[in-house]
Amino acid sequence: MTAAAQHGGRPAKPPRPLAARLLATEGVPILLVLVVILIALMILAPNAFLGWRTYVSVMINYQPQIICVLGLTLVIAAGDIDLSFPSIVTLTSLIFAAFYRFDNVFWLSWLAEGHSPEEIKMLQAQYCWLGVIAAMGVGALAGFINGALVAWVGIPSIIATLATAFIWRGMAVFLAGGKQFALRDFNQTDLWAITTGRLFTDLFRTGDVVLRKPDGIPIQAVIVLALAVLLWFILNRHRFGESLLFIGDNANVARVVGIDVKATRIKLFTLMGALAGLAGMFLTMETENFTTTQGQGMLLVVIAAVFIGGTSIFGGSGTIVGSYIGLLIVVMLQIGMVALGLGGDIADMVIGVVFLAAVILHMLVERPERLKGLGFGNR
Amino acid sequence: MRTMTKLLSVTAIATSLAAMAVPAGAEMIGEGVTVYMQMGGQPGEPPVLPRTNGAKAAAAALGVSLTEQYSSWQAETMLAQFREAMAAKPNCIVIMGHPGNDAFADLVADAVAQGIVVTSGNAPLKELQVKYQDKGFGYAGVDLYEGGAITARAMLAAGLASGDKAMVFGNFSRGDRGLSDTGMADTLEKAGVTVDRLEMSEEVNGNPPLAIPQLVAYLQQHPDTKAIGTQHGGITPLLPDVGQQAGKGPGDIIFGGIDTDPKTVDAVKAGTMTATLDQQLYLQGFLPVLQCVLSAKYQMGGFNTNTAAGTLSPANVEKLIPLIDAGIR
Repeated sequence: MTAAAQHGGRPAKPPRPLAARLLATEGVPILLVLVVILIALMILAPNAFLGWRTYVSVMINYQPQIICVLGLTLVIAAGDIDLSFPSIVTLTSLIFAAFYRFDNVFWLSWLAEGHSPEEIKMLQAQYCWLGVIAAMGVGALAGFINGALVAWVGIPSIIATLATAFIWRGMAVFLAGGKQFALRDFNQTDLWAITTGRLFTDLFRTGDVVLRKPDGIPIQAVIVLALAVLLWFILNRHRFGESLLFIGDNANVARVVGIDVKATRIKLFTLMGALAGLAGMFLTMETENFTTTQGQGMLLVVIAAVFIGGTSIFGGSGTIVGSYIGLLIVVMLQIGMVALGLGGDIADMVIGVVFLAAVILHMLVERPERLKGLGFGNR
Repeated sequence: MRTMTKLLSVTAIATSLAAMAVPAGAEMIGEGVTVYMQMGGQPGEPPVLPRTNGAKAAAAALGVSLTEQYSSWQAETMLAQFREAMAAKPNCIVIMGHPGNDAFADLVADAVAQGIVVTSGNAPLKELQVKYQDKGFGYAGVDLYEGGAITARAMLAAGLASGDKAMVFGNFSRGDRGLSDTGMADTLEKAGVTVDRLEMSEEVNGNPPLAIPQLVAYLQQHPDTKAIGTQHGGITPLLPDVGQQAGKGPGDIIFGGIDTDPKTVDAVKAGTMTATLDQQLYLQGFLPVLQCVLSAKYQMGGFNTNTAAGTLSPANVEKLIPLIDAGIR
């Protein structure tokens, strides 16, 4: 029997070439872009990009941004936006730091009354665990309020989260009591060892220099990678993720087919808030410092990473893998420009060009008809 | 100049103590004086915090009604805030010099014509100061170029020598704000150090931890770099992390920075940070409010105060820690 006969007389489609199938795999095209950028940087700045220190430094310092990128991917895939996550990062940084430095914060200093400095130091190692719960809780609550404003009150997410961004940031400054504080000796606590410590330190040991924190793979990077896998499953293999994509594609149709759109959006923003809370906490744990501007510069980089990664600007599709790699592209370009002695101004221009090219490329590949809606191809 | 600074500090503190000692019911020296004051970045931000605390303390001690204005360091916002302040017709407006003499010239002329005292802080406006000094236009802050030079000299004193290579990570292209970076780079170059001047991106300006991997990569790519300097108050406390993640031990890289963030102070104490410029930002808040009161009430001329107190070192850092934690130093 011929192939045509097997398909009811129609000629069977020839199997797609391996390369085409590979390119259609989630994240592969954008991964190729990252690989090309890395190869270029390895050639141009070999000392920085052929050794491991630059990569480990990225792993140490960029986990909060990656967490926010993952969360924002879900939000944008659902056709919404969250502009308040940098402020939630600031607020939850403060909440976590406050529980560690309770002796230096006006609303917790009563906990220090009657205790000697040695006792306070001991209590800090215990109260920081409460800080974890409080920071995650406050992050989730802030996200819930965002969701309620969007889903129940009906305010567009761009407006609602812009407004709450001011509220969360102002609240952080107020609760900090006009202070910034160092989390002294935090790297000697069990919490630091579990969440922020370094793995495989023997493999990274070089020379006789004794470092305050040993070289190694930061545990935060492992946790965030696991989180990325979990969120990938939620987006691609779970009913919640399916609902998000449905809502992002067309909220009215989603409602008709029985999806509780309001509840789903509230859950989504609550999740985003909790993730921003985790990001804020991780940021403070790594820097061992709290300042009231912590996290405030994240917004544009994170949004750019999501779109560079291939999440649709129209909603209805999102890629966790792409966003993760999208952030790495932004990061490597920034780092590469400085390593080459070109400065951040050049990096900004290059990132802008890559951003535009990536968005146009994704639009061309995935939904060419949508370009017409933006005024392309009408002539 | 340091003697002048100390003298004014003592004067300011004495004034505040005297004001606080005013018997209940007696009028405070600044009673009825309203002040609009530009604070710089955002509320609570490292370089802004001690200035705000100083201004609030002066306002409380003198009985002044103080309105704070935050601009995220945007020059155009500072100009807009000046117009907003003028519309409220206060007795005095404290401005930041970042937009420059030309940008402020007409605005200040209008304000002075309306009898409003204008004075400045943080970044100098020398032309306006000369023109309106007799009307109370003063300056409380560091000479930015000299501030960078002071930090550079501390780096040289720590062992940076002619023929060495250094990198200054700064805001060279941002008008007056870049003067301190330029002062640092120029001073190092005059001493024979080869300086790589690198502009930081807007993202790094707003989110300093992003600078860490960038500087680590720079150190990897340029292993002969002996020193890194910056005049960014948010990046300074992170410089020891750069050394750490680049695999350098304390003292391997000479780090020069600015301001006295608690983490910076801890690093100075631990020897992982070489030198940081102490601008005494609290004074930059306290003194302009005092200037406003003296000029608005008693027609005093503007005084010029360099608030720089040199650099922090392991020798002087210990006694300052409680004050830094309290947001005063």
